[in-house]
Amino acid sequence: VNLNVNGTRHELTIDARSSLLDVLRERLALTGTKKGCDHGQCGACTVHLDGCRVVACLTLAAQATGRAVTTIEGLANGSAELHPMQQAFIDHDALQCGYCTPGQIMAAVACVHEGHAESADQIREYMSGNICRCGAYVGIVAAIRDAAQKMRKR
Amino acid sequence: MTETAFPDTPRVDARDKVRGATRYGADQSQPDMVHAMLAIATIGRGKIEKIDTQAARAVPGVRLVLTHEDLGDLKSAGFLFHEGYAFQSFRPMMSPAVAYRGQPIALVAADTLEAAIEGAALVKATYATEPFNVTFDARPSDVIAQAESPLPQAIFGDRIAGDADKAFANAAIKIDSYFTTPPQHQNPMELVGTVAEWRDGLLIVHEGTQNTAAIRHGLATELGMPADRVQVVAPYCGGGFGQKNSLQMQTVLAAIAARRLQRPVKLVVPRAQVFHDTSFRPASRHRVRLGADANGKMVAAIHETDSQTSRHDLFPTLYTDLSARLHGIANFRGRERLVQMDTQTPGFMRTPWEHVACFAFESAVDEVAYATNQDPVALRLANDAAKDPITGKPFSSRHVAECLQRGAERFGWSRRSMNPGSMHAEDGSLIGWGVAIGAYPTTTVPTIARLRVSDDGGVVINVHGHEMGQGIRNVIAAAVAAKLGVPVESVVADLGDTPAHPQHLTAGAWGTASAVPASSAAAEAMLKALHDLRPNVPAGQTPAERLKAARQPSLEVEVRRHAPGQPDAVFDRLDHGLLAFAGPVFPDFVTFSYIAHFVEVRIEPRTRRARIPRVVSVVDCGRVMSPRTARSQVMGGVVWGIGAALREASEVDPRYGGFLNADIAEYVVPVNADIGSIDVQFIDKPDQTLNDMGVKCLGEVVVAGVAPAIANAIYHATGRRLRDLPIRIEHLL
Repeated sequence: VNLNVNGTRHELTIDARSSLLDVLRERLALTGTKKGCDHGQCGACTVHLDGCRVVACLTLAAQATGRAVTTIEGLANGSAELHPMQQAFIDHDALQCGYCTPGQIMAAVACVHEGHAESADQIREYMSGNICRCGAYVGIVAAIRDAAQKMRKR
Repeated sequence: MTETAFPDTPRVDARDKVRGATRYGADQSQPDMVHAMLAIATIGRGKIEKIDTQAARAVPGVRLVLTHEDLGDLKSAGFLFHEGYAFQSFRPMMSPAVAYRGQPIALVAADTLEAAIEGAALVKATYATEPFNVTFDARPSDVIAQAESPLPQAIFGDRIAGDADKAFANAAIKIDSYFTTPPQHQNPMELVGTVAEWRDGLLIVHEGTQNTAAIRHGLATELGMPADRVQVVAPYCGGGFGQKNSLQMQTVLAAIAARRLQRPVKLVVPRAQVFHDTSFRPASRHRVRLGADANGKMVAAIHETDSQTSRHDLFPTLYTDLSARLHGIANFRGRERLVQMDTQTPGFMRTPWEHVACFAFESAVDEVAYATNQDPVALRLANDAAKDPITGKPFSSRHVAECLQRGAERFGWSRRSMNPGSMHAEDGSLIGWGVAIGAYPTTTVPTIARLRVSDDGGVVINVHGHEMGQGIRNVIAAAVAAKLGVPVESVVADLGDTPAHPQHLTAGAWGTASAVPASSAAAEAMLKALHDLRPNVPAGQTPAERLKAARQPSLEVEVRRHAPGQPDAVFDRLDHGLLAFAGPVFPDFVTFSYIAHFVEVRIEPRTRRARIPRVVSVVDCGRVMSPRTARSQVMGGVVWGIGAALREASEVDPRYGGFLNADIAEYVVPVNADIGSIDVQFIDKPDQTLNDMGVKCLGEVVVAGVAPAIANAIYHATGRRLRDLPIRIEHLL
């Protein structure tokens, strides 16, 4: 397959059964994307495929051929500065153990782009595919509301 | 938030976490690494007669298949709660025995994960089955009273104060209620998993854990090698909640596979197998009898419990040790029994006994309030304890009344009408307001703190501790920074690394009350050492400036602390990776943390769906060291309470054994849309009787009392007293 991940091209020979998640983690060493269930139930592996959020565990790596994959490592575009969503997660302490955080942030950025961050209730609904077992939901909603405003201004 | 003595600083590891840069156990990758997968038993109990691994071995890329026939002589690392290191004494694959459905029977290692998964699915076993039981419908011989068991009686015997049976018989108002709670699984987001590699006879293990010491000493026991040839590195844990408190099933298997193959092995246990390869919260049954006078003064309490354990271990309980301390009831009798079933050994899940005990007891207290027509807050205030009912010793601090009063004010409790079903929203929803209190014993563990400062401004503190999201790095950095007068960001807390420092299990919310006083004492010792180095320096000089002036590149100090009443010999236990906690009963006092939860429930008129738009929680945890992470801890605890009350249950089928809903879609945990507003308040009064920093415990007490506050609010909304968890929509129809 020919994968374009965070703007870098990778030519790989893979098992046809390989998920995008396992290829990112085990072949490309992009371990920011996490495995929490491998069944599309928890959202920890959320990445962007052509700008839309997908769970990488239910996406075959082969399906990503010729499409742009963005992971948490590529969110800030290689800049030392954080994406407004990343900064908002720090400011609102929207994380504890940090394991679900990359998936939450990738889902949150997509949630704003989709226009699903207009109210707290809407954010709660559209962020319910990402489980945070530490229970940082109040901070996550506050962070997304904050970052959504800053993202609109950019 | 209230004003506190410690500043509100960001989580010290947040920047790495939001960039995906934090490395968890399974994020380790080595060149030439092999991936492993487990095959599991498909019967409820019995013995493997034949295991066929031919098809698995034939899969291209498979390098190794291990079964009980290949493992050779291995010694069990023993049960954590019985002077051992593992979550249970039974170790699968050390014999043909099958103790429960879901236990590992084979490991398949391959060049790729896909090949390992395919190989594991092709392992075929035939069994001789035996009868088994996974419910409370047990034989009488499977029911063990703790008071008549080999368990240490000072800790696990009956809890007695006064004559509860006589006082209950004579009470004007009698409540006699039964409660049940289901098995539940911790399900941290990080899967259980191991990366094991051998380098020159040294075994190096990367694994998300709360207890690197147990993994180190447990592996050394099982493999028959010296502990100093095992290194366990776990700077970060992707959630523990009690699940990762000891040696798991897969670690030794990964280590053996790595040794046989002379290659590093990564074994990540799939979510479905986590339900059977790790501990869980046991199912329990409670009978609570409360006697009161006509004004609601409680005079007698009898709390009797049955709790699930395994066939091979006694996982003991302390339900009534907690319920005895909730209120000032002079006559108390607590009796706890264990019921042996054919599952893996249950264990600790956040607030293991206290959440459950509070659900039963605080629900019953609400029944007393309604039986005596007393406001539930006023009733609790009138029954507050002046001293510990069990030992008669004073509490080192207890601010239950202040928690209740401040919570009632923040919540607007005075606007509550007493009668069930009397409050409605504009859309026709029933509104219920409920209250309950919670408590959790404060314990501490022996701690060695080593502090090093350098002339470049670097400050590194080594203490035992595992960062699993609770923010232990923040509280340690805050304590050291405050004492040394340096910025919090300049302090690095080096944790969870067995070669660097002796480690102890991080659990029971004892992290802060152990690590913070020791770290602070180390900083105090450092100030003295700096003073001795150069006695006459201008005020305001930083440690780095003093070192520079003395032409000394760095300086190191070490201090040792243990709990009041603990002998110095307790440090030997620390050296051997054994549990060494003390409390909540100390020689001169008794210490608990407390919380009051106020909950609003709304029941939709047509669907009868219960929603929780707001919660107010007021905590007495002593001094708050890190306001931001503490607040997050409380909110997380409330989310856990909501899950425990309304969502989570591991379903059991008596015909098959094991757990049926073994994935994270069918084991329903709270999601974002389930959570509304959570208002967190701290009393923030230091408990300097316990330690000079005045810190008690926080991470567990936060869950205690949420479930009964919800159940009590549902009663207030509907008039239905629901005594079985979880409470679901079908119970409200």
